[in-house]
Amino acid sequence: MARRSPTRVIGGRLLQALPVILLATFMVFALLKLVPGDIAVTLAGDNATDARITEIRKIYGLDRPFLVQYGAWLANVVQGDLSQSLLTGEKVATSISRAFPNTLLIVAIALVLALVTGIPMGVIAAIKPDGWVDKTVSMIASLGVAIPGFWLAMILVAEISLKLNWLPATGAKSFSVSPIEAIRHALLPGIAIAAYGMAEVARQLRGSLLEVLSSQYVRTLHAKGLSMTRILWQHGLKNVSVNLFTIISILVNRMLAATVVIEAVFAIPGLGSLIVRGAIQRDFPIVQGVVFTMVIVVILVNLIADLLCAAVDPRIEQ
Amino acid sequence: MTQTTRREVMALISGALAGATLGGPAFAQGTPKRGGILRISAPANPSSLDPATGGAGSDHAFLFTMYDTLTEWDFETLKPKPGLAESWSFSDPTTLVLNIRSGVTFHDGTPLDAEAVKFNLERNKSDPKSNIKADLAAMESAAVTGPLQVTLKLSTPDAALPGILSDRAGMMVSPAAVKASAAGNVARTPVGAGAYTFVSWADGEKIVIKRNEKYWKPNRPYPDGIEFSIIPELTTGSRSVTAGQNDLMYQLPPRQKAIVERASNIKIFNGPTLYVFQIFLNWAKPPFDNIKVRQAFNFAIDRETFVKAALAGLAEPAYMNLPKAHWAYDKSVAGLYPHDPDKAKKLLTEAGFKDGLPIELVGYPDQDSVQRQEILIEQFRKAGMNVRFLNAPIAEASAAFFGAEKRGSGILAAWTGRPDPSLTYSLMFTKDAYYNGGRGAVPPELEAAIKESRASEDIELRRKAFATVQRLVMENAFVAPLAFQFELVAMNKKVQGYRPNLLGKPKYDDVWLES
Repeated sequence: MARRSPTRVIGGRLLQALPVILLATFMVFALLKLVPGDIAVTLAGDNATDARITEIRKIYGLDRPFLVQYGAWLANVVQGDLSQSLLTGEKVATSISRAFPNTLLIVAIALVLALVTGIPMGVIAAIKPDGWVDKTVSMIASLGVAIPGFWLAMILVAEISLKLNWLPATGAKSFSVSPIEAIRHALLPGIAIAAYGMAEVARQLRGSLLEVLSSQYVRTLHAKGLSMTRILWQHGLKNVSVNLFTIISILVNRMLAATVVIEAVFAIPGLGSLIVRGAIQRDFPIVQGVVFTMVIVVILVNLIADLLCAAVDPRIEQ
Repeated sequence: MTQTTRREVMALISGALAGATLGGPAFAQGTPKRGGILRISAPANPSSLDPATGGAGSDHAFLFTMYDTLTEWDFETLKPKPGLAESWSFSDPTTLVLNIRSGVTFHDGTPLDAEAVKFNLERNKSDPKSNIKADLAAMESAAVTGPLQVTLKLSTPDAALPGILSDRAGMMVSPAAVKASAAGNVARTPVGAGAYTFVSWADGEKIVIKRNEKYWKPNRPYPDGIEFSIIPELTTGSRSVTAGQNDLMYQLPPRQKAIVERASNIKIFNGPTLYVFQIFLNWAKPPFDNIKVRQAFNFAIDRETFVKAALAGLAEPAYMNLPKAHWAYDKSVAGLYPHDPDKAKKLLTEAGFKDGLPIELVGYPDQDSVQRQEILIEQFRKAGMNVRFLNAPIAEASAAFFGAEKRGSGILAAWTGRPDPSLTYSLMFTKDAYYNGGRGAVPPELEAAIKESRASEDIELRRKAFATVQRLVMENAFVAPLAFQFELVAMNKKVQGYRPNLLGKPKYDDVWLES
C-alpha cells in the first residue's frame, strides 16, 4: 500500500477532530446546564428578588432554550470569537491567552523532569532485573504513583518555600518578561506533577525494555559479541521509543488535567484555575472556552505523538 | 468562666504578647509616610468594578479603594458620617438634602458636583443593568438645587438612606466615563473619585491601582499603589503572606490563625463584623411552620460552644442579627434563647413531636461548613431533633433553598450584613423577600416595625424601632442566628495603620508601609 503524504494525514486527523470538539463542548455545556445553580443569581447580586433574577436571565439571554444558547455560542466560535465572561465581561480569548502559557510552562517542566529522571531509572532497572537497583526503582515508582500530587505540593511548599525560602510559594511570572523568574515560580508545581510522570515513565520503560532485551535478536547481538552499552543504545532504546512517545502523549494529557488541582495549591492563574472559577460560578463561556482549548491541545499532542511513532517505526500505518 | 482550656491560655498569652510587641490597633507606631506598594492577597475575583452592576459582597474590598461614597461610616459602630457629602439633612421626612464637598474631581479630571451626583443616583435607580435599584426604592427623584446641592424627593420616609449612601448606591462614578463607554459599561474601566485610580485588571489574577494624586483627603493615601493578587484558595493566600510574596491578606479562616501566627514576622488583627453564620428557616412548610418547633430549634443551639469548637473562639455568639458593638443592638433580645435542650424537648412535645423530629437542612460541602454542621447535628440530637444535611455547592444550594425548588427546611449559610440594619431585616423578613426562602407570611406588626425603623432620622427613635423589629423576629424565631464572624486580617510588620471595621469589608484609609 502506497504511503499517504504527511499533509494529507494531518489534514485528515484534524477533520476527525471536529466532531470530537463538537461533542466535548456540547457535553460540557449540557452538564453545566443540568447542574442546579445559575449564574443569574450571582449576577443579580446580594439584594436580589425573584423578579430581578428573572430580569437578569432575560438581559443575558439565559432564558432562551438550551439548544439556542449552545448554538449562539457555537456561531460565535465559528467566527473566531470565544465570546466573553458573563460575570466580568472579559474576553474569554484574553483570559485563555493569559492563562495558557502559565499552564504550558508547568506541564513542560514536569514533562522534562519526568523524562530526565524516569528514563535512566527505567533503563538501569531493566539491565539488572530483580537486583537491588531494580527493587529500589520499583519502590520509588510505586511511591510516585501512590502519592497524591496536591499533598506532595503542600510538603514542597512547606519545606522548600517556607522553611528554606529557596523558591516562591505562590503565583506565576510571565516567561516573556523574565524567563528565570517564570521557571523559578513553575518549578515546585512542576515537580509536584512530575512525580507521577517519573514513576510512569520508569515503570513502562522498564517493562518494554525487558521485553526487547529478552528477545531473540538481542541474544544474537550478544552472540556477535556486541557490548551491552551498544545493544542498549543502538537497538534497545530505538525499539522502545515508540512506546515512549505513546507514554509521553498520555502523560501530557494527564498532566494537563492535574494542573486543575496543582494550580489551586500554588495560586497559579492558569487554565486549571480558570476552568474551576468558570465552573463554580456557572460562567459557561469560560468553561466552554477552556474545554475547547484543551480538546485542541490533546488532539494536537496525540497527532504529534502518532507522527513521531510513524517516523521511527515505518511499520506503523498512519 | 471557671475552667480555662490550654488553648485559651495560649490564646491569651499570644494576645498579650502581640499587644506588647506590636502595639495593637490602638497604638499606631511611628509617623505615617508615603511610598511603597501594598501587596494584598484577595480571595475572590470581583464580579464587576462598576458599583451599580456588580453583585458580590466581596467586591467592596476593591470598590472602596477606587470609589468614594457620599456618606462614610464609623469603623466601630457603623454610624453614618460625612463623605463626599459634607453634610445632609431631612428638611421633612420625605426630602433629603445632600451638600456636596467642593473641589472634588473624578480620576478623569471632571468635577464631582451636584450634576454628577444626580446622574449617579438616577443611573443606580433606573439603569436596566443596575443591581441596586432596590436600595434607592424610596427615592422618587433627584434634583440639582445648587451647584453643590442635591435634593432627593422620597415616596415614603426612608431614614436608612444616609446609611445606604455609604455603600454601592453612594459610590460616585464619573458621568463622563459612563457616557463615553459603549452601552455605559464601565465594569472593566472604573473611573471614580477614590483614593486610588485604576491601572489594570486581569481576571482571576491581578488588579493594580495607583495613588490618586488629586485625592481630596489631605495626605492620603500613603502607599504609591496597591496590587491585589486574586488567590481563591485561602490556605494558599495565607502562605503567600508568610512567604513574603504579599503584605496583607483579609478573610483569613479562623483555623489558619494559629498556623499563620507561628511565622514571627506576621501580625493578625481581628474584630467583630456583621457577617453572621445563621440557619435561614422556611416557615411556610412543615416542620418550621410551627412556631414551637422554630423556638425549640433556637433553644437547642449552644452558641458559646459553637463559637469555640467551630470558629476557634474567634467570633461573637449571635442571638439576633446585630452584634453587640452595633449602634442598634438591643440587649434585652439577646436573652431570649439561652441554650436549653430540656425546654426545646418540651416545646417539641407540645408541638406533637414527642418521639423526636427529623429535619432536613441544606448546606455547603466544604471542610469548614461540614465541621460546623457536625457540631450542630450533635447539639440538635441532644434536644430530640434528628438533623440531616443535604450538601451542595454554594450556588446550587442557595438557588435550591431560596429559589423555586424549596429544597430542605432550612439552610446553614451566612448573612453578610448591610450598612443600615433596616435592609437586613427587610431583605429577610418581609413576605416577598428573596431571603425569606419560603416566602412565608410575616406578622403585620413586624412589617410595620420595619417600616417604622425607616421613618425617622432620629437615632434614638430608630434604635427603639429596631428593638421592636429584632424582638418580633426572634420571638417568632424566623431565623436561627449562630455567630458573628471576626474579621481576621494577617499582615507583615511593614504594614501600619490598619483598622478593622464592623462591616467586615476592609478599607485601607490610613494604611502606610514602613520601609
